[in-house]
Amino acid sequence: MLEAINLSRTFTSDKVDYEVLKAVNLEIKQGECVAIMGKSGSGKSTLMHLLACLDEPTSGSVVFEGSDFTTLSEGQKNRLRNEKFGFVFQQFFLNGRETVFENVALPMRIRGASGKRLNENSMESLQAVGLDDKAKKSAKDLSGGEKQRVCIARALVGKPQVIFADEPTGNLDSKTGETVENLLLQMNKDLGITLIIVTHDEDLANKCERIIEIKDGRIISGN
Amino acid sequence: MKIWDLIRIANRNLLRSKLRTFLTVMAIFVGSFTLTLTNGIGDGLRDYVETQVKNIEGDSALFVRKKFPREDEQNARIGEPEEYKEIKEDEQGNRIDPNSIVVSLDQINSLAKEFPEVKKATPAYRMRAEYIALADSDKKFKVSLGMLSEGLKQKLEAGKMFDGKNQIILPLYLAEGFDEKVENLVGKTAKIGYKTEESDEIQIKELKIAGVATKGMISNLNAFVDAETAKGLYTAQRGESRDYNRFTNFTFLLNSSDEKTMEKVKNKLEEKGFTAMSYADIEKRTYDGIGILQTGLNLFALIALLAASFGIINTLIIAVMERTKDIGLQKALGMGRGKIFMLFSMESILIGFWGALLGIVIGIACGLVANAYLASTYLESFEGYNLFVFTPLSIIFIMLLVCTVAFLAGVMPAFRASRLNPIEALRYE
Ligand SMILES: Nc1ncnc2c1ncn2[C@@H]1O[C@H](COP(=O)(O)OP(=O)(O)OP(=O)(O)O)[C@@H](O)[C@H]1O
Ligand SMILES: [Mg+2]
Repeated sequence: MLEAINLSRTFTSDKVDYEVLKAVNLEIKQGECVAIMGKSGSGKSTLMHLLACLDEPTSGSVVFEGSDFTTLSEGQKNRLRNEKFGFVFQQFFLNGRETVFENVALPMRIRGASGKRLNENSMESLQAVGLDDKAKKSAKDLSGGEKQRVCIARALVGKPQVIFADEPTGNLDSKTGETVENLLLQMNKDLGITLIIVTHDEDLANKCERIIEIKDGRIISGN
Repeated sequence: MKIWDLIRIANRNLLRSKLRTFLTVMAIFVGSFTLTLTNGIGDGLRDYVETQVKNIEGDSALFVRKKFPREDEQNARIGEPEEYKEIKEDEQGNRIDPNSIVVSLDQINSLAKEFPEVKKATPAYRMRAEYIALADSDKKFKVSLGMLSEGLKQKLEAGKMFDGKNQIILPLYLAEGFDEKVENLVGKTAKIGYKTEESDEIQIKELKIAGVATKGMISNLNAFVDAETAKGLYTAQRGESRDYNRFTNFTFLLNSSDEKTMEKVKNKLEEKGFTAMSYADIEKRTYDGIGILQTGLNLFALIALLAASFGIINTLIIAVMERTKDIGLQKALGMGRGKIFMLFSMESILIGFWGALLGIVIGIACGLVANAYLASTYLESFEGYNLFVFTPLSIIFIMLLVCTVAFLAGVMPAFRASRLNPIEALRYE
C-alpha cells in the first residue's frame, strides 16, 4: 500500500551535503503496525516525513495506493494528507489558546466539512481517546498524557488510513506513555488503521508487528 | 476551509495579542478618521454648491465671450511684446477695439445668424440701481440688479418666473426686509431708483414683483429682471456713455438642450474666436475644483494610512514568526498555500476593517458635533452649509479603500507564511 523506492534525501547546509537517507526501499501493507527504530540522527524522522508526503525526496519515490507522490499536484498532496493520513508528533503541536474540541476539529475545518460532520467526527474521536468530557476545556490546561491523547484524537478525526507517529511517547513518563501506546495500538487493531511509529522505546517497538531498524540512513533490518 | 472559518480563526488570532492588534488598529484608525473628515469637507462643499448653484437653471443656454487675443497661443510668454491692432469702424459705424474682448450688439447678432441652432442672443446688460422700495411703503433698501435672459430659470420661494417685461424677482433677504411673509409681496409694485450718466437726479422705474427667489449663493445678492427690462434700464443709464453698446458677455439660447447640439455650437464658437460655457460646464468646473481640493486633502489622510500600513506589515511579520509552528501544523494537516495566504490576508483586512469602522464612526461623530457648533458660530451666515457632509457612497468608498490598503500591506507577510515549509516550520525553535 505504501512503498518507498530507492528513496534518498540529501540536506545541504553551509554548502555541505549530508546524505541522510541512502536509497531506502520499503513496503508497508494495509493494516500493518510498523516501528521505525534507530539512533538519534539516523534519519528516522526524515524517512517518516517522506512517507507522509511532508517532504520531497532528492531521488527515488514514494507510492501510496498506486499513486506516485512525485506526480501529484500541491493540492492533491494536501488532500491526501488531510484525508488519508493522521499525524502524532512528539511535541504535540496543540493550539493552547483553543479548546480541546477545536484542536481535534482542525483537520475537518481544513477539509471544509459540514458543521454536523465536523461535530460528529470530533466528538467520536474524543470519545475514542476518552476525553469527550474535556471537549470544552482549553488545550493548555491538560496534562502531557491528555495532550497526546488529544493529538491522537486529532489524527483520528478524519478517519485516516495511516497514522504517522513520531516519538509519540518521547515527552511522557513511562506510565502515561503506555496509555498512549495502547491507544495507538488499539486503533490499529480495532479500526485497521496502518500505524507507523518512530520510536526509541524498545518496549513499544516490541509491541509492533514489525520493526524497521535504521542506521546511517540505511535500513539494516526489518525489511 | 470555509470562508467563515477563515474569518473566525483570523479574528481569534488577532485577539491573541490584543495590545499589538489594538495599536495597529489605532494607526489605521487615525488614517481613516482623517480620511473621513477630509473627504467630508469635500462632500460638504459639493453639497453646498449643489443646493446653491443649482438655484439657477438653463439647460439650453450658453454663456459666450470673445477670447482674449492670445488665449489660444500655447506658448505665449509673459514679457513678449504683443502686436497692436488698429481700431476700425465696422459697417454699422461701431468703433470696436479688436485688442479687447468687447463686442457690439450688431456683432453679437451677426454672429448668432451664423448659427441656425441659436434661438435668441442676449448681451449681458449691466445695470446699477440706487435703491429698491415698495410703491406703498417708505422703506428703501440698497439693491444690485441682475439679468436673467430668456431660457434661464431661478428657483423660487414664492410667485413665479417673469412672463413679460417690467417684472422683478427679489432675493429672499430683500423680500424679507419688506415683509416676513414673502408671498404677500408677489404681484405688488416695486420702485427701482437709479441714476443716469448725465445727472445725479434719481429716476424711478416701476416693476411688478413676479416672485421671490430661494436662498442661494448667487441669488443672495441680485434682484433679477428680464432681458427686455434690463435693456431699457441699460439704455437709460448708459445711452450716452462711451462704453454704450460694448459687451463683454452674452448668452445664446439654443433651440435644443441636446448635448450634441450644445457641443457643436461650442466648437464652432471656439473656431470663431469665442469661448462658450453652459451651466453644466460651469457646474462641472466648480465640481472639478472641489474634486481637486478634496483629493489634495485626502492625500494627507492617505499618507497617514500609508504609515499605518507599515504597522500592519510589521504586526503580521511578527505574527508569522510567532505562529510558524501553527502554520507548519496547518500545512502538514493539508491546508493549502492559498488558504494560509487568505488566513493572513484576512487578518490584515480585519485590522483594516476595524480601524476603518472606528475611524468612520468617530469621524462622523466628530464631524456632526463640529457642524452643530459651527452652524451656531462661524458659519451662521452660511445657512445650509455644513463643513462636513457624509454620504453613504463616500463611507463605503473609505471602507473599501482602507480595507484594500490593509490587504495590500498584508500581502508580503501572508505570502511569506504561505511559502513556509511544513517540516522546517515544525522544527522551528
Ligand atoms: N532540514 C534539515 N537541514 C539540514 N539537516 C537536516 C535537516 N533535517 C534533518 N537534518 C539532518 O538529518 C539527520 C537525520 O535527521 P532526523 O531528524 O531524520 O533524525 P532522527 O533519526 O529522527 O533523529 P532523532 O531520533 O534525534 O529524532 C540529522 O543529522 C539532521 O541534522
Ligand atoms: Mg526524529
